[in-house]
Amino acid sequence: MTRRGFLKWLIAGFGALSLAGVLYPVARFLKPPASVAGAIGQVVKAGDVSSFPAGQLTPLVVNAKPAAVQNLGGKLTVYSLVCTHLGCTVGIAGDSFKCPCHGSEFSATGTVTHGPATLPLPTYHSQVQNGSLLVGPIDLSRADYPAWYKGEFTA
Amino acid sequence: MSTTTEGRAPEVPAAPSGKKGVVNWLVGRLGLSATMEDQYNRIVPKHATNYIYCFGGIAFVLFIILAVTGILLAVYYQPTPETAYQSVLNISTHVQFGWWIRSIHRWSAGGMVLLVFIHTLRVFFTGAYKAPRELNWLTGVALFLITLGFGFTGYLLPWDQKAYWATKVGTDIAGSVPLIGHFLLVTLRGGDQISAATLGRFFALHVLLLPGVILALLLGHFWMIRRHGISGRL
Repeated sequence: MTRRGFLKWLIAGFGALSLAGVLYPVARFLKPPASVAGAIGQVVKAGDVSSFPAGQLTPLVVNAKPAAVQNLGGKLTVYSLVCTHLGCTVGIAGDSFKCPCHGSEFSATGTVTHGPATLPLPTYHSQVQNGSLLVGPIDLSRADYPAWYKGEFTA
Repeated sequence: MSTTTEGRAPEVPAAPSGKKGVVNWLVGRLGLSATMEDQYNRIVPKHATNYIYCFGGIAFVLFIILAVTGILLAVYYQPTPETAYQSVLNISTHVQFGWWIRSIHRWSAGGMVLLVFIHTLRVFFTGAYKAPRELNWLTGVALFLITLGFGFTGYLLPWDQKAYWATKVGTDIAGSVPLIGHFLLVTLRGGDQISAATLGRFFALHVLLLPGVILALLLGHFWMIRRHGISGRL
């Protein structure tokens, strides 16, 4: 290989690499994000029932918001992991919940066991159909929830 | 019996002899050899091989970046008062690399205003606007104003408080022009108040009208710089 040929390939290689570096994020950008797949109030498929092991809280994302599926003896409940205090993402602590921001704690059924939060963790309307878990909008009947769970909840 | 070439396609010029590759094939098929030769043999005067002569070119690169990222943002942006802010939030927080595309668009926009301004100063202080280049200077002034127009209209699109009040002040200034002020204000806002009509108008200006006008003027700007050549040294 001549020196000129080598340099040509080198430049072409760097060019292709730079182009790929730009085209890759653009392709990812054009892929619809999760929030578009499940707009406000839309029912989304959360997955196979078998993917939520019994006695555990399995984290998942519903309409781009953090949530967790609880399997209590086959009964599936989907909890929102958006803290009712100031909207942080609540962490899963064993079979209950603990918010890292201000220390709010929630029981396995979502009720407040430690402040500063005053409202229980919201649950999603959900049902099992043909072996898969379908998740709908947030169940607003559980408490008088702040605005971010209503219209603005799914951006 | 002689054959006549009349009514037949002119003979397609062959590719430059001995040259391979897609570019040379195109040059041959389109008969652009002379044009390309002219571009290759153009001599840049020594005084112009200088960084201060690069600002116009950099501004154009930023324009291309803005066009590409702008098209991408338009994929997710929704120009209605109910959804504009949410769709921008969606781009920044949910769309993959959305924050990246939006940041590039935002920073390039600021950069383009700055570089067009510096380019204008360079042309002014090197006296490059003098005869026979007056028309190109005027085109450049129009391009500068259009760049500001892009900035002004784009600023409203996120539809947040800053956007709203900046547009309120900006259109109020247009409204203070003697005689035609009120007409300007109502035309810009699509009514007396800033509303959905304002957002629609600014969006149309930002993505339809201004891009068309700036492309036409850029074409003229570049054609004239080729026609005149780079201005002489100080």
